[in-house]
Amino acid sequence: MRPASSDAREKLRAAMARLAGGDRQALEEIYRSTSAKLFGICLRILKDEKEAEDALQDVYINLWRRADRYDPERASPISWLATFARNRAVDRLRVGKVRGGGVAEEEAAPVADRAPLADSLMIDAERDARVHSCLETLDEKPRKAIRTAFFGGQTYAQIAEADGVPLGTMKSWVRRGLQKLKTCMERGE
Amino acid sequence: MTDDPTPENMLAAEYALGLLEGEELLAARGREASDTAFAAEVAWWQNRLAPLLDEVDQQTPREEVWQRIAAELDGASGDAEIISLNARLRRWKMATGVAAAAAVAAVSLFVLTPSVTAPPVGRATPEAPLAASIPIADTDLRIAVTYLPDREELLVSASGLTADGVHDHELWLVPQSEDTPLLSLGVIAPGEERRVSLDSATAAEMADGSALLLTREPLGGKPADANAGPVVAEGRMQII
Repeated sequence: MRPASSDAREKLRAAMARLAGGDRQALEEIYRSTSAKLFGICLRILKDEKEAEDALQDVYINLWRRADRYDPERASPISWLATFARNRAVDRLRVGKVRGGGVAEEEAAPVADRAPLADSLMIDAERDARVHSCLETLDEKPRKAIRTAFFGGQTYAQIAEADGVPLGTMKSWVRRGLQKLKTCMERGE
Repeated sequence: MTDDPTPENMLAAEYALGLLEGEELLAARGREASDTAFAAEVAWWQNRLAPLLDEVDQQTPREEVWQRIAAELDGASGDAEIISLNARLRRWKMATGVAAAAAVAAVSLFVLTPSVTAPPVGRATPEAPLAASIPIADTDLRIAVTYLPDREELLVSASGLTADGVHDHELWLVPQSEDTPLLSLGVIAPGEERRVSLDSATAAEMADGSALLLTREPLGGKPADANAGPVVAEGRMQII
């Protein structure tokens, strides 16, 4: 017997394929199995329940209207959906509809919170993606900045200000960090 | 770490992370749309970073959110048509291996823009939409052409193209009957998606397998007293 999570992945894959053919029932199935994960992501970035609800609505409406955008060859459905939700939430921050939270990532997410739920639909099913270990190889400053940008949807200017360093310094830390992260992740390919 | 040089070319990563704003953000978006290598690099970063999102706790949204989604979809007109056309384009893309992204992108515009001409009645043309994707020599760019027979309307998408200021390109339909001259489908508008209503004579010649030609012309298109310019690209309409 396959584990429950693998079963959920297969169901989601099948529903995404039906969605591309215009099956409305498929959209509800996808919503039921992914909305908690996607809402969590929107909430984390927008830090406001109402805004996160609007972002979530926007994500699924867009998914329905442009189901052809998902390419099964390039990403797993849950990975793609989570990235899509994150990007839409960040877009909302950028167009100024929302005031950014400005909370440093380390404060917003205590280390104890980081263990993902065991029975959830995981992007990283085996928890072996290199990004986890590669991030750990970075120095504290770039690692913290990259995490703040990723989870908080913060721009260079915002993370530089929050950290009290000049913009150029922050860009330099982050770019070096990203280069190192890239090299480390590529080693696993 | 301070001894390492600062890498210059991390734009795809910075864009994927969402670090950019203002003009830099707009420029990166533009590149993502027009530069396939850059878009692939952005996708690489997104895929590699996505597992981090597993750290975020799940939160169940209020049931009302789904109800709002369902209500919005029920209220939207034209959706069914868009979905069905998107599905057709998708199957066509898979069957032909052609990148139909531009053609797909155009569909909602095509269907949702109200048509001024009433659909003709009693004609023997095929009802299935036709599509062609015309590669532009030596580039990744394509002109996407979609034709809806029941509306006698053509959608021509030249989204990635830019004008050179010296030439225009004109699109032509090669008629099925040999002694009929080429039928103009209009001058291509670089960077735009343009909707063209075909006259009945031209619409009657549009069929599965019809050849399309793209010629280089002076600005404004082929002058009335001159021959058509050199053919720079060609494609074929196919039922999708």
